[in-house]
Amino acid sequence: MSLRPDNRLLDAPMQPVTCDTCQGQVEVRKSSWEQTSIQWHDDAVERCVERRAASPRPGPNGATFQGCEALRRTVATLAVGGDLDVQSEESDA
Amino acid sequence: MTGTETTHEPEVRAIESDGAPARYARGWHCLGLEKDFADREPHQVLAFGQKLVVFAGSDGVVHVLDAFCRHMGGDLSQGTVKGDEIACPFHDWRWGGDGRCKQIPYARRVPLRARTASWPTLVQDGMLFIWNDPEGKAPPADVTIPRIPGVEDPEWTDWVWYTTVIEGANCREIVDNVVDMAHFFYVHYSFPTYFKNVFEGHTATQFMNGVGREDLVRPGSSGRKSQHATGNSSVATYHGPSFMIDDLVYHYADGVDVPSTLINCHYPIDGNSFVLQYGVIVKKLPGLADEQADAMARKMGDFIRLGFEQDVEIWRTKARIDNPLLCEEDGPVYQLRRWYEQFYVDAAEVQPEMTERFEFEIDTTRPTEAWKREVEENIAAGRTALSAARKPAGQHA
Ligand code: FES
Ligand SMILES: [Fe+2]
Ligand SMILES: [Zn+2]
Repeated sequence: MSLRPDNRLLDAPMQPVTCDTCQGQVEVRKSSWEQTSIQWHDDAVERCVERRAASPRPGPNGATFQGCEALRRTVATLAVGGDLDVQSEESDA
Repeated sequence: MTGTETTHEPEVRAIESDGAPARYARGWHCLGLEKDFADREPHQVLAFGQKLVVFAGSDGVVHVLDAFCRHMGGDLSQGTVKGDEIACPFHDWRWGGDGRCKQIPYARRVPLRARTASWPTLVQDGMLFIWNDPEGKAPPADVTIPRIPGVEDPEWTDWVWYTTVIEGANCREIVDNVVDMAHFFYVHYSFPTYFKNVFEGHTATQFMNGVGREDLVRPGSSGRKSQHATGNSSVATYHGPSFMIDDLVYHYADGVDVPSTLINCHYPIDGNSFVLQYGVIVKKLPGLADEQADAMARKMGDFIRLGFEQDVEIWRTKARIDNPLLCEEDGPVYQLRRWYEQFYVDAAEVQPEMTERFEFEIDTTRPTEAWKREVEENIAAGRTALSAARKPAGQHA
């Protein structure tokens, strides 16, 4: 199957973000203050300090790393400072 | 399009589909509970566009072979287990679990090249898995299914297991579920309040928390208030293309938490049908008799069945769609399919973007508002979610 582009990314693409803590480079998109998409790359995953320090959560799916708090803070700071777009407009429909 | 209109009407959006893939996903596929294959009878399994025979030899080891005998094409799934071998019903050739013909009772020797296809198997936590690989390679050591702690723990119930054949849909439909937050409200009668996906390597995870739906309980129903779950927390991961483990805890009004593990797995019959299986084990509450705990697991399984039955109704009539039109409150369908694609290309063709980590957390503010309102309307109208979902027979929309 040929993979199609996400229609939401056509309207507003992901933007590069560098983690304040580990300098890892990822792409981020926020469709609202509460919504976040993060595209990681292998080098950013390897750099991430929290991920390296994290021990697996209990349970059969414990190996899945939930997310980096430092990166979350970086993203929040950028968004609040207007350095990362937030597509929060309400629909006029 | 005469061009005389002054308003900007968007173009009609076309639904695109390339059709079901020409091959089947690489990975471990669960065929069901091992005990259901242990009776030393041959079991026919239709999977991956083929007919397979599953049988346990006298040593109890379960084997999976191509069902068609390489002698004259007899169907081994109609044969007999003799010793550790499956005997063909046509001329009694004996095939071992390794795919080699071990014996031909009426022949002086077995011809060279008497070898049929055998499938790598894995028995773990009571389940039987087979490895499918269109390239015919052995399973890599790092592609595994995690162990499930509650299995064979006396504090947990045994598996309550369900099997159902889905006709008229490709198995991608069920995989899409993992990112489809809104359908959990409309189709599964859940009420998600937190929803996040993480894809990485060969795993795809869904973190979902929800609240109980008060419009599920019939007014005046016999259950105590404390017996209705007020919320749930779930971490569900696909380990490969078809096997999901859901670590699910129900929270009750009296402060009791009930941990459970849910399996949701499937294997393709062909491009347009698949076998869906799901199973539940539940941690026994202190003071609860085994039968009561089993009944609880069964009740949970039946609720899950209700949701899946409605999924099936949707799948039976929906269109396959490669270009879904998403709103911001939908999950990462496109990125999920990019992840899923890794199982449909040769191992050497897997691209970094198929396996690189991707996170997506939904803003549930608006869905929560809308669904609260809908639940309240149902309650005010004396409806339950179930009765609201079922239109009277013969009614036209
Ligand atoms: S076809 Fe199987 S033994 Fe002849
Ligand atoms: Fe579903
Ligand atoms: Zn980091």
